[in-house]
Amino acid sequence: MSKEDAIPPGWSYNPASWQQRLPIVIAALVGFAIATYLGLFQLKVIDTVWEPFFGNGSRKILTSKTSQILPVPDAVLGAIGYLVDALAGVIGGIRRWRTMPWIVIAFGLAVGPLGFVSVLLVVLQPVMYDAWCTLCLSTALISVVMIGPAMDEMLASLQYMKRVKDARVSMWKAFWGYKEVQGKVI
Amino acid sequence: MWAQVINAILGIWLMASAAILGYSNIKIITDNEHIAGPVIASFAIISWWEATRVVRLYNVPLGLWLLLAPWVLGYDNTTATVNSMLVGALVTGLSFVKGKVEETYGGGWSAIWKSDSMHAREAKRQPRVDLDK
Repeated sequence: MSKEDAIPPGWSYNPASWQQRLPIVIAALVGFAIATYLGLFQLKVIDTVWEPFFGNGSRKILTSKTSQILPVPDAVLGAIGYLVDALAGVIGGIRRWRTMPWIVIAFGLAVGPLGFVSVLLVVLQPVMYDAWCTLCLSTALISVVMIGPAMDEMLASLQYMKRVKDARVSMWKAFWGYKEVQGKVI
Repeated sequence: MWAQVINAILGIWLMASAAILGYSNIKIITDNEHIAGPVIASFAIISWWEATRVVRLYNVPLGLWLLLAPWVLGYDNTTATVNSMLVGALVTGLSFVKGKVEETYGGGWSAIWKSDSMHAREAKRQPRVDLDK
């Protein structure tokens, strides 16, 4: 592990470097912006929604029963999801795969389900409502694109947790990044 | 990676093909394509990255399903049948194309539960420096 790049053992690069993480954070922020816009439409703060291809599609999807199934409109929940992803992507330094596995694993777990729900909603649009919504499809694409690049960092953290386990160091303390276990396991 | 780019495009093509090829009035065919399409595209996109390249294999059963779907669901439209089988064959074949993996990942996903994997061996050899940061 060289001092500058904090590369995990057995890796050829550091998945927690800023160059690796920033694109995901930017994607999450774009997703957040679009979802906020759609959420404002659903909350009736704005009364039109941009739809270049599918005519009445966006309106149909965004006012559908499925989108109102929870007390909060689905785009608002999406916006919160993207914000959580962006925050989880930005917290911690380039050694965070080892110094704070909890945030890396939370990041991976936040990106996964958001992507899954997005794909589910893409399937429901034409199957249940016979309509498409351009911006909803765009946010779904963003959440799917984020999955791959977030997973490598989670892999590095999970491998670290495995080494912690094999060294019989407290996994609880290592997971939360307690100072007293820092350096016991590489 | 090119193979998974093509699979992603094929998935998106499935989403659009009913409207383009003109059988969007047949609900069972369009529903099948509108479900399989986004899922295939998603798995393909996730496998663009080397660390998650293995996800491409999830598209093998989906590709095989597209080959069978016209017979199982009883498509009565030749264009849709040919489209489904052609896309199914391509997706299945391309899912097996691994492509280049240039980086190393400490032994990959199986190294999370296997002992004596690459990351564990490498960690033992490394000097303990810079660990208090």
